[in-house]
Amino acid sequence: MVKFAPPADGRPMKKNDLILIAALLAVALLAYAGVSLYSKVSTNKAEAVVYQQGKEQGRYRLSENTVVEISLENGDYNILQIREGQAEITEASCPDKTCVRHRPISRQGESLVCLPNQMAVEIENGADSGIDGATD
Amino acid sequence: MKKVYGVILLVIGIAVLVSAICLYGRDEKLNQYQGQFFDCFDTVTTITGYAGSQEEFSEKMDLLKQKLLHYHQLYDIYHTYSGINNLKTINDAAGVEAVKVEPEIMELLKLGKEMYEQTKGEFQIAYGSVLSLWHDYREQGMAKPNQAKLPAKEELSKRAQHTEMGAVVLDETASTVYLTDKEMSLDVGGIGKGYAVQRLAEYARELGMEHVLISVGGNVSAVGAKIDQKPWRVGVENPDQDSLEPYLCTVDMVDQSIVTSGDYQRYYEVDGKRYCHIIDPHTNMPPEYFASVSVLAKDSGRADALSTALFNMEFEEGLSLVESLEDVEAMWIGKDGEIRSSSGWKADEKK
Repeated sequence: MVKFAPPADGRPMKKNDLILIAALLAVALLAYAGVSLYSKVSTNKAEAVVYQQGKEQGRYRLSENTVVEISLENGDYNILQIREGQAEITEASCPDKTCVRHRPISRQGESLVCLPNQMAVEIENGADSGIDGATD
Repeated sequence: MKKVYGVILLVIGIAVLVSAICLYGRDEKLNQYQGQFFDCFDTVTTITGYAGSQEEFSEKMDLLKQKLLHYHQLYDIYHTYSGINNLKTINDAAGVEAVKVEPEIMELLKLGKEMYEQTKGEFQIAYGSVLSLWHDYREQGMAKPNQAKLPAKEELSKRAQHTEMGAVVLDETASTVYLTDKEMSLDVGGIGKGYAVQRLAEYARELGMEHVLISVGGNVSAVGAKIDQKPWRVGVENPDQDSLEPYLCTVDMVDQSIVTSGDYQRYYEVDGKRYCHIIDPHTNMPPEYFASVSVLAKDSGRADALSTALFNMEFEEGLSLVESLEDVEAMWIGKDGEIRSSSGWKADEKK
């Protein structure tokens, strides 16, 4: 049986005990710093992920401005623009243009959907939007 | 000096142990996964749930997709599928013969009739003759916006004569459906999706999934709570699509469903005026009361039918209907953005 009690001789903690406590604290702090740094890095890794018919077609970092043409074999297309950390569809061949009218997205789980072209852009690894789903 | 080495060894040992526990815990924990597909009900289906691995989640997703696809085929009014009698089969046999149907169709149509009574005809499943006319004009108007036209009043009222609910004959003993009016047709657009979502939620439970959020084109149903026992948080879309604020408020859900009917997604414009896809059976025209109505209820099929009905009703009338029903709450968003809600509606307003 291990007894967690002060030394029996009644003297204050030994120097080595202090070293141990300090070392443990240091490890804990380091671990905490590591974890927070890791999660911070991952929020900067927000990506716009393009899906066609449910299959992933490409990933684009929100931190890098770019314009991508997402096209289908039959000539239909959506133009995805990433600018200042936000993704939006600026042009599309679909008749309803719902995807073009949709506001730009940047937060985790938000999506741009084009039903006629069976295309979706979703934000992954993004900052938490605080919601699990949406009703529209 | 020996003791110092001992301490260092001990610290290293603890550090290794702690990281091992962290890594182990991460892998063993059920992770949250999300899957998406497009094949059902002409919309996007998103399922959020938990599993030990992506493979395990994908297996369940495939089963759920098969199930939803089955409902999609049964409730389809545009296509027939070999080996099954669906709503198109029933519509095609109108005035000719009764059609043998699966329980999934019988139950849906029974609920449809019940909701028709409950909403005093503001929700209609036998309204296909009018809806299909609007559908054709909307499709043409979207394809060629400068030639967009409205259906003629006379044509609308002519078609509205073939929407008598009494002509929908359900024979539960024989499991048949017969439309006695040759010109009539069923359209379950305002209830089929919601009903299917409810059945899908029940099927997810049968598969052992106790924490799932299902969204079929904005018909959202929560199975249980999240795995940490917190409720699922669902955003209600801002009808103002130009606004940078995506959601007007959020609703917390456990074993509940929410459905929204709005004028801002499916519509076409004639002379600069917006005409949405929901048609009021009493006027044969798109209603202009609200930008959207959201209904929160236990049952997704009822929520679906009610959101359509409330969209067709003036606020006071709709409010008294909602207040008369148990476990049903609603929120109305006006065309000017004004938000009103029933007495038990609980939502976090977005700042």
